[in-house]
Amino acid sequence: MLETTGIDATKSGTQEVLRVDGASVRYGAATILDGVDLTLNRGEFVCVIGPSGSGKTTFLRLLAGLVAPAEGRVLFRGAEHRAPSREIAIVFQDYANALLPWRDAEGNVSLALEAAGVPRAERAGRIRALLSKVGLAGSEKKFPSEMSGGMQQRLQIARCLAQEPDVLLMDEPFGALDAMTRQKLQDELLGIVRDSNVTAFFVTHDLEEAIYLSDRIVALEPDPGQVCRVFDVTLPKPRNQLSTREMPEFLRLRRELFDFIERFEP
Amino acid sequence: MRHLHRGLWFMASLALLVALIWGWQVLADARILPRAFFPGPDRTWRALSRGFASGTLVADTLTTLRRLGLGWVLASLLGVGLGALVGTSKWAQDWVAPIFEVLRPLPASAIAPVLLLFLGLTDSMILTLIAFGALWPMLLTTVHGFSNIHPRRKEVARSLGMGRGAFIAKIALPGALPDIMGGLRLGLTVALILVVVGEMITVQGGLGARILLAARAFNAAEIFAGVALLGVIGLVTNALLGLVETRALRWQRR
Ligand SMILES: Nc1ncnc2c1ncn2[C@@H]1O[C@H](COP(=O)(O)OP(=O)(O)O)[C@@H](O)[C@H]1O
Ligand SMILES: [Mg+2]
Repeated sequence: MLETTGIDATKSGTQEVLRVDGASVRYGAATILDGVDLTLNRGEFVCVIGPSGSGKTTFLRLLAGLVAPAEGRVLFRGAEHRAPSREIAIVFQDYANALLPWRDAEGNVSLALEAAGVPRAERAGRIRALLSKVGLAGSEKKFPSEMSGGMQQRLQIARCLAQEPDVLLMDEPFGALDAMTRQKLQDELLGIVRDSNVTAFFVTHDLEEAIYLSDRIVALEPDPGQVCRVFDVTLPKPRNQLSTREMPEFLRLRRELFDFIERFEP
Repeated sequence: MRHLHRGLWFMASLALLVALIWGWQVLADARILPRAFFPGPDRTWRALSRGFASGTLVADTLTTLRRLGLGWVLASLLGVGLGALVGTSKWAQDWVAPIFEVLRPLPASAIAPVLLLFLGLTDSMILTLIAFGALWPMLLTTVHGFSNIHPRRKEVARSLGMGRGAFIAKIALPGALPDIMGGLRLGLTVALILVVVGEMITVQGGLGARILLAARAFNAAEIFAGVALLGVIGLVTNALLGLVETRALRWQRR
């Protein structure tokens, strides 16, 4: 076990997990994404920014296999993939719709285990471990309607981790949360991604959030959606909410991203 | 506060019931209609206790309850099952749903003679009659509930790799349950009507047959006793279903 993670760690940055090759997405006559290329490597954290309507969500749905490309291809571990896979988990922005209100926290995590055919006897222990991993220990019996937005999003992340995914796709997962909760969840997410060596693809409209989390930032330009620029983030890890955000490199990137996004503001 | 409110309402409806029975007694005592056609609560009650003492009324009540229960369960399985099929399959929507549109307006009582032809004077005929009449509200509410499932839930099911069966059992049905419960209640009312109709046609025991035979014998008190008992059955079964609904939909009130 230790050995394999060691090997993975040395290979990280080179081992390709997901690749998009000149993919275009159309809805009817409208071209939403046009010839997009991107490679996601194992353990990498990639954020996607871009003005509203530039196709960030569509990009994520393309990687998820929820929409098929009209041109080009999406390769998952080298094989073309056109339908959702259990190894690619999706954290939706609207956690209220993504969770099942008639199941408590345990039940919602259990859904992923049931779908994967995990025997009943094994589920309870794994559910408890997952819930405590996302900071929901003690809330096992709470229903989503009894939880704050931050707790519900944690619960959705726990359900995604229950899939034991290779890739974690997240669509503005913290967009609806207050600043304090958001920063807390950012740090927890970084820890989870580091520990599980999962590849993260994170859509956000918050530029500082993108810099704080990323190894790489993909900037989309709209009409039609295209990869406009890729920014490498070389900030040291582990990141820290205070010191990282004060580093000159952080401020330089922040400036660059603002300049980029400003071009599209009316 | 809410309990007090509920208690007051319960007392009020109880008082109304007592008042109605008292009014019925007054009307019967006034002899506007001949006593032979219009017995008061006193004579109805006597017919009831006589029937229970001899055991025949108990047997008939149990027979009716058994047919009602079986017919309603049959209708629920068919209605919810077909509803789930139509609600999750494009194919069924295109090919099966139009057939329903033809069958649905047929009054269940009108197909009773047809069923009689095929099934004879049997329990199966009564159960089929109930199932045919009572499955519609269940089917329609299930289809409606399924069509209201948020698209995100379908995407969750797909990304978790759930098959159609698991999707129906774990996501669609529980999500549609608030709608379906309404259909189950409506179906119960229809089932009670049709069990009586069926028993009056087959005359193989049960309260429907008992009422029919009492009518042929001009035994008004016996008729009223049967009707009163059917009223109680309707009330109690509906209340039981209400309890089940409250339990099953507990999550909605959190
Ligand atoms: N299902 C759809 N059908 C038609 N157009 C769509 C659909 N989904 C998204 N679009 C359009 O595609 C464009 C990009 O949408 P989206 O990917 O949601 O952008 P973003 O997430 O960056 O705001 C928008 O102009 C939107 O109107
Ligand atoms: Mg979006």
